[in-house]
Amino acid sequence: MLEIKDLRKRFGETVALDGVSLSARPGEVIGFVGANGAGKTTAMRIAMGVLAADAGEVVYNGSPLGASQRRRFGYMPEERGLYPKMKTGEQVAYFGELHGMSRAEAKRATAELLAQLDLTDRAGDHVQELSLGNQQRVQLAVSLVHRPELLILDEPFSGLDPIAVDVMGTALKERAAGGVPVIFSSHQLELIERLCDSVAIISAGRIIAAGSVEELKARETRRLRLRVATAEDLSGRLPGTVTRDGEDYLVEGGDDQEVLRIAADAGPVSHFAYDQPTIAEIFREAVAQ
Amino acid sequence: MSTQNSETSNLRGLWLVASREIRVRGLSRANLVSLAVTVLIVGVLAALPTLLSGEDTTRIGLAGEEAAAIERQLAPNEDYEVTVYGSVGEAERAVEDGEVEAAVAEGALYTENRVDTELRTVLDSAWRAASVQSGLEAAGLEPSEIEQALATEPLETVSLSEGGVSGPLDYFTGLIISIVMFFMLMMPVQYIAMGVVEEKSSRIVEILLTSLKPWQLLGGKVIGLGVVALVNLVAIIAVGLGVSAATGLLPDLPEGTAAAALSTMGWWILAFALYGTLAGGVGSLVSRQEEAGSVLAPITTALTIAYVGSIFLLNAPDSVLGRVLSLVPPFSAIAMPTRMSITAVPAWEVALSIGLLALSAVGALLLGALLYKRSVLHTGSRLKLREVLRRAA
Repeated sequence: MLEIKDLRKRFGETVALDGVSLSARPGEVIGFVGANGAGKTTAMRIAMGVLAADAGEVVYNGSPLGASQRRRFGYMPEERGLYPKMKTGEQVAYFGELHGMSRAEAKRATAELLAQLDLTDRAGDHVQELSLGNQQRVQLAVSLVHRPELLILDEPFSGLDPIAVDVMGTALKERAAGGVPVIFSSHQLELIERLCDSVAIISAGRIIAAGSVEELKARETRRLRLRVATAEDLSGRLPGTVTRDGEDYLVEGGDDQEVLRIAADAGPVSHFAYDQPTIAEIFREAVAQ
Repeated sequence: MSTQNSETSNLRGLWLVASREIRVRGLSRANLVSLAVTVLIVGVLAALPTLLSGEDTTRIGLAGEEAAAIERQLAPNEDYEVTVYGSVGEAERAVEDGEVEAAVAEGALYTENRVDTELRTVLDSAWRAASVQSGLEAAGLEPSEIEQALATEPLETVSLSEGGVSGPLDYFTGLIISIVMFFMLMMPVQYIAMGVVEEKSSRIVEILLTSLKPWQLLGGKVIGLGVVALVNLVAIIAVGLGVSAATGLLPDLPEGTAAAALSTMGWWILAFALYGTLAGGVGSLVSRQEEAGSVLAPITTALTIAYVGSIFLLNAPDSVLGRVLSLVPPFSAIAMPTRMSITAVPAWEVALSIGLLALSAVGALLLGALLYKRSVLHTGSRLKLREVLRRAA
């Protein structure tokens, strides 16, 4: 279990993190959401030990996280980086060794991973000869090769085509199913909704909402959406606060059975249900507050 | 994996980085091709003296009364082929026809062109010895008595420096040492800076730093590229000496060449630690290859001054400037081994020079690692040295 506790970081006059806390349980996939400059990358860099925090701590399995444990984590930084003039297979294996694997182990893991990512044919090619999409896959391979205990990925899906998105998503789900906590940031909120168990929303260096996807959705004010074929404007007659969304009525805070009765009297009802807020809506709402 | 103690994993990290540099840079096509070309050139150069000088002997004509005596003087020297002519006129003609390069007759030296200094000295001293001999004979001494009186051993060299630091070789050896040191530092220093910038500009450094410490990354790079440079040098020297041995030139090499080569290697290691870590440190200040040259400028300038100073020093090894250059780092790295090849340097000066160079190498290691650590994750604009040094860790 990884616990990030009250991280603070300033760059000169700018406050990048203003008390960020976050925790990841085994097998949990956490989506880290925030506008550009909100502090996602800084928080992830501190967790990976690339940057030092001004205050706060990162605790792993009950004790402060050290370099030897970090070596067993997998990391994909926002700024991708590979040695352009090194062969793909050699490069992935090199990172396996850097993370503490023996040479033979690293080679074996590299072969497996390249097969899984459809890169076996390119193992002998220099990275600079690969397409951008394939380079992204190599980047993922570099972060996965040492069978990490925990994954921290900064924008792993950016720049991927839809097929690569699926490959990446499957790879992450597989690791999570094996008990690995996965924390990743993304601007693609529908992806977060599809892949994540929990979401943490960061704004201006503070976590403004965090919890499981269901919790966050439940926390939202429930909105009843009503579509009814009638010439009459029901706005004045429906209970609660009523707004219009195109032809639909949005009702907040009224008795739903009464809403249904009034609507059925006025004409045939084609839609009557509570809106499921998307992560995108939750995010917009949280940031706006 | 977690049972690994940190000491071994520290060294393993250093070694992994170094061996990657050796694999990628040492076995790169560019390096192999340039090494092959250099080895070829060195081989040809080493064989050239033998190929060019089809005949090693200089032909000399003699005539007149003293001819026999001079011939006796020249006889032990195999480099001279002597022809005795019946008359001065015949000897003159032989010179004009090119049969001999020079002729000595009746106290005069006949020649078509200018006679080189070495030949002139040899002929002068042979002439003088012959004259002395005939003078003494005329004074009534027996030839055997004369021979006994004139038999002298050549001067013996006694080195007055304590500990007998590697004996003075000659100008040529000094020149070779300074050139080799210069190139063997200049090239890898550039590679180190380029390598640092490559990792920084490709942003791979951020992943590397999650499993390596900055000093491992910098140290491994310096060691790896150092090994590549050293292997290249050893290959070149081996070919040079091998070809020289095969063509029979080796015995002509001044005594102490091997010792000088070994001690130069020691100087190189110290110098490389100094220049290499500094180059890595300043390389981390910039994010683009185009800027690498400008941040490296102070280092390449220091190297160039050390090299030019060493060339100057070859002509004035014991001048004040020569002594200062050979004591003060970073110039001493090239200047001292050069100076040692041409003059006997007092042992205390050598020890002081090594001490100062080693100290500054340690200082450079610390400074280079500090610069590297503080600036390697900074991307974008070029960092000012002062900013980095002032910044808190």
